[in-house]
Amino acid sequence: MKRKNSPLPEDLENEMEESGSSQDEGEEEVEKDRETEEENGKKRKRSKKTVTPVDSEDGVLRPIKLTRGELYRPPTVEELNQLKEAESLFHCSLLKMQMEELLKEVALSERRKKLVDSFVLQITDVLHSVPHSPVVELTDLSWLTDVQVPFLLVPKAVKGKFHMEPPASVTLVGSYPLGTCIKPRVTVDLAVTIPSAILHPMDAINQRYPRKRALYLAGLAQHLLSSPAVGTLRFSCLHGNRLRPLLLVTPPGKDSSSVTLRIHAIPPPDFLKPSRFHPQKNNIRKEWFTGMEEPEKETSETPTPHYNSTVLGDHLPQAHLQFLSAVRDQCPAFKDGVALLKVWLRQRELDQGTGCFSGFLASMLLAYLLSTHRVGKSMNAYQLLRNALHFLASTDLTENGITLAKDPDSKAPSVAEFQAAFQVVFVDPSGHLNMCADMTACTYKQIQHEASLSLQFWDDPTLNGFQALLMTPKPLIRTYDNIFQLSGLVNLQASCKKLKLLGELMDHSGNYVVTVLPFLLSLLQRGLGERICLLTHSLPPDPEWPVDSEPPKHKDQAPLSFGLLLTPEHAHSVLERGPPADSPQAAEFRQLWGSRSELRRFQDGAITEAVLWSGVTACQRRLVPLQIITHLLQLHADIPESCVRFIGGEVDDVIRVGREAPSTGEEESLKVVQCYDDLSRKLWQLEDLPLSVTAVQGAHPALRYTQVFPPVPLKLDYSFFGREKTSRALVPQQGKPCPVYITPIKVICHVEGSGKWPHDKQAIRHIKAAFHIRLAELLSSQHKYTCKASPTHLDVWKDGVAFRIQVAYHREPQVLRESVTAEGMLIHRDNPEARALELETQHRTHLTSTLHGLQQQYPCFGAVCRLAKRWLAAQLFSADIGQDAADILVASLFLQPAPYTPPSSPQVGLLRFLFLLSSFDWKNNPLVVNLGNKLTAADYTEIKNNFAASRDSLPIMFIATPNDSKVSMWTREAPSVQMLQRIVMVAAESLRVLEAQLMDPSQTQDVRVAFRPPLDMYDVLIHLNSKQVPLIGKAVDRPRATFYQGIKEGTVASSGGALPVIDYDPVKQYLTELRDAFGELALFFYDPYGGSVIAVLWKPKAFEPKPFKTSLINARSVKVTDAEVSTVPNIEAILEDFCIIGEGLVKKVEPRTEKWVV
Amino acid sequence: MAASKEKHAKQSCVIPGGFTVLCLKFKSDSPTHHQLIVKEHRVRAEKSTQRPLNRTLFVLNIPPYCSQNVLKELFSRFGPVQSVELCEKPGASESTEPKLSKYFTPAEKEGFKVGYVVFKNASSVTAAASHPHDEPLIVCTEERPVRTGVQKWIHQYTHSFIPPDQLQEAVDSFMNDYDKRKEEEEERQKREAEEQAEDEEGWIKVTKGAKGAKARPHSEAANQRTLQKESKKKRRKELLNFYSWQHKNTQKQHIAELRKKFEEDKQKIALLRAQRKFRPY
Repeated sequence: MKRKNSPLPEDLENEMEESGSSQDEGEEEVEKDRETEEENGKKRKRSKKTVTPVDSEDGVLRPIKLTRGELYRPPTVEELNQLKEAESLFHCSLLKMQMEELLKEVALSERRKKLVDSFVLQITDVLHSVPHSPVVELTDLSWLTDVQVPFLLVPKAVKGKFHMEPPASVTLVGSYPLGTCIKPRVTVDLAVTIPSAILHPMDAINQRYPRKRALYLAGLAQHLLSSPAVGTLRFSCLHGNRLRPLLLVTPPGKDSSSVTLRIHAIPPPDFLKPSRFHPQKNNIRKEWFTGMEEPEKETSETPTPHYNSTVLGDHLPQAHLQFLSAVRDQCPAFKDGVALLKVWLRQRELDQGTGCFSGFLASMLLAYLLSTHRVGKSMNAYQLLRNALHFLASTDLTENGITLAKDPDSKAPSVAEFQAAFQVVFVDPSGHLNMCADMTACTYKQIQHEASLSLQFWDDPTLNGFQALLMTPKPLIRTYDNIFQLSGLVNLQASCKKLKLLGELMDHSGNYVVTVLPFLLSLLQRGLGERICLLTHSLPPDPEWPVDSEPPKHKDQAPLSFGLLLTPEHAHSVLERGPPADSPQAAEFRQLWGSRSELRRFQDGAITEAVLWSGVTACQRRLVPLQIITHLLQLHADIPESCVRFIGGEVDDVIRVGREAPSTGEEESLKVVQCYDDLSRKLWQLEDLPLSVTAVQGAHPALRYTQVFPPVPLKLDYSFFGREKTSRALVPQQGKPCPVYITPIKVICHVEGSGKWPHDKQAIRHIKAAFHIRLAELLSSQHKYTCKASPTHLDVWKDGVAFRIQVAYHREPQVLRESVTAEGMLIHRDNPEARALELETQHRTHLTSTLHGLQQQYPCFGAVCRLAKRWLAAQLFSADIGQDAADILVASLFLQPAPYTPPSSPQVGLLRFLFLLSSFDWKNNPLVVNLGNKLTAADYTEIKNNFAASRDSLPIMFIATPNDSKVSMWTREAPSVQMLQRIVMVAAESLRVLEAQLMDPSQTQDVRVAFRPPLDMYDVLIHLNSKQVPLIGKAVDRPRATFYQGIKEGTVASSGGALPVIDYDPVKQYLTELRDAFGELALFFYDPYGGSVIAVLWKPKAFEPKPFKTSLINARSVKVTDAEVSTVPNIEAILEDFCIIGEGLVKKVEPRTEKWVV
Repeated sequence: MAASKEKHAKQSCVIPGGFTVLCLKFKSDSPTHHQLIVKEHRVRAEKSTQRPLNRTLFVLNIPPYCSQNVLKELFSRFGPVQSVELCEKPGASESTEPKLSKYFTPAEKEGFKVGYVVFKNASSVTAAASHPHDEPLIVCTEERPVRTGVQKWIHQYTHSFIPPDQLQEAVDSFMNDYDKRKEEEEERQKREAEEQAEDEEGWIKVTKGAKGAKARPHSEAANQRTLQKESKKKRRKELLNFYSWQHKNTQKQHIAELRKKFEEDKQKIALLRAQRKFRPY
């Protein structure tokens, strides 16, 4: 048998090893220019050669070996200093080196710089040759033939004249001349000074200047269109401000992606006096803006601070550049510090869009820190970044603004005046401009939150600070617990009216989205109160459009997204308790909540205003924030419910249980745990046992809230079942569908140690069986529970739930390990039997109680586990990553959330789980999960060292916990290298699909796509008869027709009744038999939660002909060629065996012979 | 032996090594078949009475649905069958442990198996080994249905119930047996101890004794403990930073450690760089 096309599994191993290098080559080609810095390249090659020629080839770390001579040669002073610095300044030299490498990655190469310089020269030449044009009215646009004005001309009428003229000067401004420009998205700012002849001193009023500026840019664009030096021409605007359009130019040909030139048009430096743009002055007349004559003229017009700062901002780029250049020259690490800060901002999506914290602000911030001596001039980039973050975390610019102006002139506004007009204040060196004019308070709070979070984990020696700080992207959807989107932004116009925001609308020149945003934010902040600890919003992206089309309207932009970071203890309470009815705040409360507010009397006798939201189960209560948001937006801003799209509960669907109220299993799990507590109490209190019970411990996911579908109390219809002859227990009947599946919940019952226990493994087994019998007798006589004792366990039917009690003797694993050698020496040898027993009776119980504790701390832990395991099962990986391993993986998301905060909604937990699976470097790092916070930093180092020393013998997915730091017991058997590779691939893909589905409002919501496994890679599909699949109702795509499984409605008796059918799952039996019989030839994959297909994958090496051997003949057929006898798998017979073994269960065996031939 | 079969009218399929290939079908109308590979059981060293030479047939590649009974019936066409033994791997039978009751014998894997069929007559072995290849043996027939799939699992579930009294009985009988063995063991040890004791004239009789007969076997852990104690003692006696060369050595060691760490970090970086782990986006 051969495979036709190159199949997955046999190459996976190679692929995994090669993936690094082959990917490299591909990228190398795409980004040739990146790696052309010759010097750099050479250095790399050299370092590779000298350090470790081996490891970069196979991508695995090996313990390093240095000769004695190398280690003990006398050190030079230089070397000593270097080593000392690395030790004291950074945690270790690793972090320092990592930062250096990162800076190398983002810095512009020499080649790229040359390219930029020549392109700038070319464009400057073209710009200088702009022809003169005749003077026309400002409203006359007929002279523009091929381009549109990059400006929303509302209102249309405006006075003034305009003509084209070559620019007074063309200069480089911004990050490129400063040297802080970094990859990717290399943008170079080019300031074109408009000649003073075009402008008029009164132009600042009523958008005349911004319109002239836009016309001038349009004129330049028209001229540039004909130039051969230009690749593409597009319009955009600076940080989403429509009054400040930009012209984007890229070089032609293959260099087009390497640089974007942004052309700003600016007025001559001394064109207008800065004092005219005081934040309390008005520069847009209401009469002009509304187009209406007002009968009685108001004495004063409303101030227009945002418009003012826009116009003023155009005057200053050159001055700012001079200022920053001076700072840069003082501080050698300034450039690198800014670059790091920019990377940090970019990973947090804070560096672009309206009201962003741009790279310019980052430079200004560092300049501020230098000028106020908060950082020293000789500090390195690492320290600059650290101090900048510390400053951001500790200073609230929304309360106390800062200024860079040393000695502002007398006309400059005071910081207090700025504070009154803007939410965030950071005044530039001139003293007239607030550089954070467009930033909302929420955005600044977000920056503060991020900065303090970063500082928290920076110093934590137990985690990879560098990775979390600078390398992990934090997209909105993965960062915040709940997201909601406002689509149909046109409705915000109505909100402006409702909120009476005409003045502000004028100030923002008609951009109603930006106008209304701060008001919505403060409204929601008030309404959500202590339910959230952070409210953020996506920054509206800068629009870009071709020069020959109209600029996009305000309503055309992407929907606004808001992120909520919940406080787990308050977020989902259904009650909003207000002030007492007679207090003065009551009116305010009523005003906020409108008709939803009502007077309520509470148990403590108080009568207060209160709002009650609906929600019975945890799953419904998770939607309380949605109810609040829609209510408030509807009430105060006239935003209809249909515009609000809440992303928070979509994926809950796949773990939905509950017949009446929709629930995701929290309530059911709680019930099971209560029931177990009762049972354990009763076990404790049993008398008449030969030895007493010392501990009762749960060893089942249902007892730590992480069972995907927790058991539900059941009442059975006896007529559906057969009866066993002696015990009258229920048994499944032939010819009927498979009865409902009842999970036995494993409980370990430790019995006191005593000299009476025998010291022999068979004898211990018999004694345990005797205990099971005795327990069964006592439980049924004292508590009337129906029991079934067997040698290995005891099943108890209680409250409609089945428990499986297993007696354990703590010395048994040790007895199993003991053996006597021929010399009479007593030795201890580990063996699988002892290991399995220890896992079952000691480690799993311990894990169960630890994770139970975690659930108490983080209410959504269980739900995240269930979602994660549902995904693993749905993708047919549940045999590879077991229940316990999956739970520990999820626990790590809560215990080590950096750079995020612990998830507070199941959905974000699932996304981070997928991200962890797909992005963790399993090959080179152990995943340390500090359960119960028992590991110290030293333990971490030890674990890492052990791991590095014996990497090859350890499982590929290595998870260390406090109890298990050396062997990773839960992932010992599985997954294999190949399977992990596949899991990583599928997780990455699922994450991508899921995030796209969740964020894109236009797509129809079907998150189940991420839960449907791709079946095309498997060789044989075994389709099952759905009537024999007991959990078919829990499948990802639930079947329309269900069948009767012997369950009755009604209250469940707490004890007595016939013993039901426990743990009878034909599919499970079938899989065991298949694996027993054909495990050497094939892998079997199945979704244990209602899957109706078993996927089979032939092992790649199974089909090679092998020489005849009596030990290697199973399921093979013999072939004789000459005197040689060889065997190959008897494929037809195996396929028939699939049917025979699964008689009655298998519907069809579908060999995918297009993939292989016999 | 092979030559004699060549003359057979319907040919049996014999492959080098002396094995005969038999054809096994689940049902008479099954489209495919498994190959049972049989040979007379012949091992030089084996003395087992359970597998008498020249009456035992060694069978390979028995599919999971062929139980002992099925196999017995299948092979009774060649002559009366005395017993059938199934195991996972070929090899000597290993029943040295005390016999366990059926409730305590661990469940067997349901995979392909190896069988030893003991006939009553030696002639049956040759008959089986010369059975023609194109006459398949049929596992499941009208008169002898074999349960598989759902039928089998329901059957298994129904028979998993053990009456508590029977289970208790099995436990009791085993424990009695165990206690008896324990007593005998103690008796024996006592006797040996007595033998080694001084007699009236102060003589001690030194015997070789059976292996592992000592009253308490010395254990590995105890050995290790003694070794550790010794090395601890040694260390305690040592002087640290007493001589100037020792001091110098400590300093040297520190630098060497820093150096080593530096090199390790460098290696890590080189590796990460090779994997492009420094591109932030």
